[in-house]
Amino acid sequence: MANRVVHGGNLAWAVRGFRLFTETPFSHLLWLLLWLVAAVAIHDGVLSPLVVGIGWLLAKTVPPRARRFLQGGLIAGGPITVVAIPMMLRQGLDPPAKALLLQDFRVNLAYLLAVVATICLLLYALAVARKDAVRSMVGRLGPGS
Amino acid sequence: MSHTKVTERPQRWPAFTSPIRSTALTARVGSLVGICFLVCLGTGLLSHYQYRPWSWLPEPASPVWLYRFTQGVHVATGMATIPLVLVKLWSVYPNLFRWPPMRSVKHALERLSIFVLVSTALIQLTTGFLNALNWYPWPWDFVSVHRFLGYVVVGSILLHVGVKLPDIVYGWQAKLPEADVLTEIPWSENPNAHSNACDVPPPATTALSRRGVLVAAGAGIGTVVLTSVGQTVTPLEPLGLLAIRQWTKGPQGVPVNKTAAQAAVVELAQSADWRLQVAGLQAYSLTLDDLEELPQVEADFPITCVEGWSAGAHWQGIPLLEVVRRAGGDASSRVRVVSLEPDGLYSTSVVEGPQVTAALLAVHLNGERLDVDHGYPLRLIAPNRAGVLNTKWLGRVEVN
Repeated sequence: MANRVVHGGNLAWAVRGFRLFTETPFSHLLWLLLWLVAAVAIHDGVLSPLVVGIGWLLAKTVPPRARRFLQGGLIAGGPITVVAIPMMLRQGLDPPAKALLLQDFRVNLAYLLAVVATICLLLYALAVARKDAVRSMVGRLGPGS
Repeated sequence: MSHTKVTERPQRWPAFTSPIRSTALTARVGSLVGICFLVCLGTGLLSHYQYRPWSWLPEPASPVWLYRFTQGVHVATGMATIPLVLVKLWSVYPNLFRWPPMRSVKHALERLSIFVLVSTALIQLTTGFLNALNWYPWPWDFVSVHRFLGYVVVGSILLHVGVKLPDIVYGWQAKLPEADVLTEIPWSENPNAHSNACDVPPPATTALSRRGVLVAAGAGIGTVVLTSVGQTVTPLEPLGLLAIRQWTKGPQGVPVNKTAAQAAVVELAQSADWRLQVAGLQAYSLTLDDLEELPQVEADFPITCVEGWSAGAHWQGIPLLEVVRRAGGDASSRVRVVSLEPDGLYSTSVVEGPQVTAALLAVHLNGERLDVDHGYPLRLIAPNRAGVLNTKWLGRVEVN
């Protein structure tokens, strides 16, 4: 089964990869190769270390209970930010008739991240309140209960 | 339980200890990524077929919303896959630091295939997204490279699935909180990986759990989808904080992909000398007044762009078949429409099969005379047809 899947993958590579090479000008292929290498270099050399570094910093500085919600907020906010940044860079550059990127995506991103932050804060407050309630109940019942 | 000796590696080397990463987490996210790419390939091929259909299997005219649906799914899925891939790559980042980098020729080839998979997936998603933004900071032809890379990405995924099948099976069979800890050291050499310790559970996560990662990422990706699909899903338009296009803000309530100024047809389209030349067994020409006197019909056809936006619209115009019949053709004719646009990749298009009967040569849009940016004086509009193939600023119709 696994071998068939591998052979299927190799076949798709071989046929379409070959056509990509035969139907694209050589100079464009070089640019494409540069982009492919750059994509991996930027991801593995910049973005991922940045994410790992932020995680390490949070682990060193933020207590676990609060960190849980901070991590959740950052993970939820990440996809929104990744998609919004290119929109911010291109907004307002095209003719209005195209109705393309007419919004202020900086403001929209701020709105969405504010919503994510508010939800995380509320969930954190709820977790703290619940823990306090459990602690006070245990306190009322006494240590032997 | 015995373990093989940890392979010697450089003294200063990254060590990943977070118990969040796990093969179980990767298997779940990776499976979603694979499904998303398959959906994108399928819908992408359907879109490609719009531009180059086989003559014996022309595009259907019904349902009128078919291309609107498939291309909307294509772009929305592609956008959602961008962060999904980043989460997947985060979950396996420690694998990049396995030592030694290459154990054998087979291992080297496997790592090379992963490089091809990661690089093509990232470029495919990035350039696809930038295409939706009309942003082309590369020299190559987007359409052909996007199509070929689609096969390469899916081929690489199949290859990757084949190689990693045992891990995927383990990952799906294991419960998320109890599965292994994925680090830079392979299972077989890592007594702390817990996958091979059977009854020894992994250390508890101190903050966010593995399930929490999935929930948070799902919430973020869900927000992206919910706030962007309003560009094609009409009821969600008010939520479109990340909508690339806002169809309500286009002229006559419909966005345009290429303006009359960009096509250099502003004067030609509004010239008093404009005529529609019809070529066929009985060639003739029509003035604007002639067009107004021809029987007109109304129809609701969405206009759908390959970039993922679409808008429902009410059209009024002359049935294409009426013009074709006057030239000596019939419903089986192959019709080529030609724009006044002096240059442009889509200045002509071919209508054949069921669309010949269903298409209109539109003169009105949403109750008003066509705006020049929408193709005044005359444009083609057909159901289930890519937007750029609904040729604008028509000057000639050829009936074969």
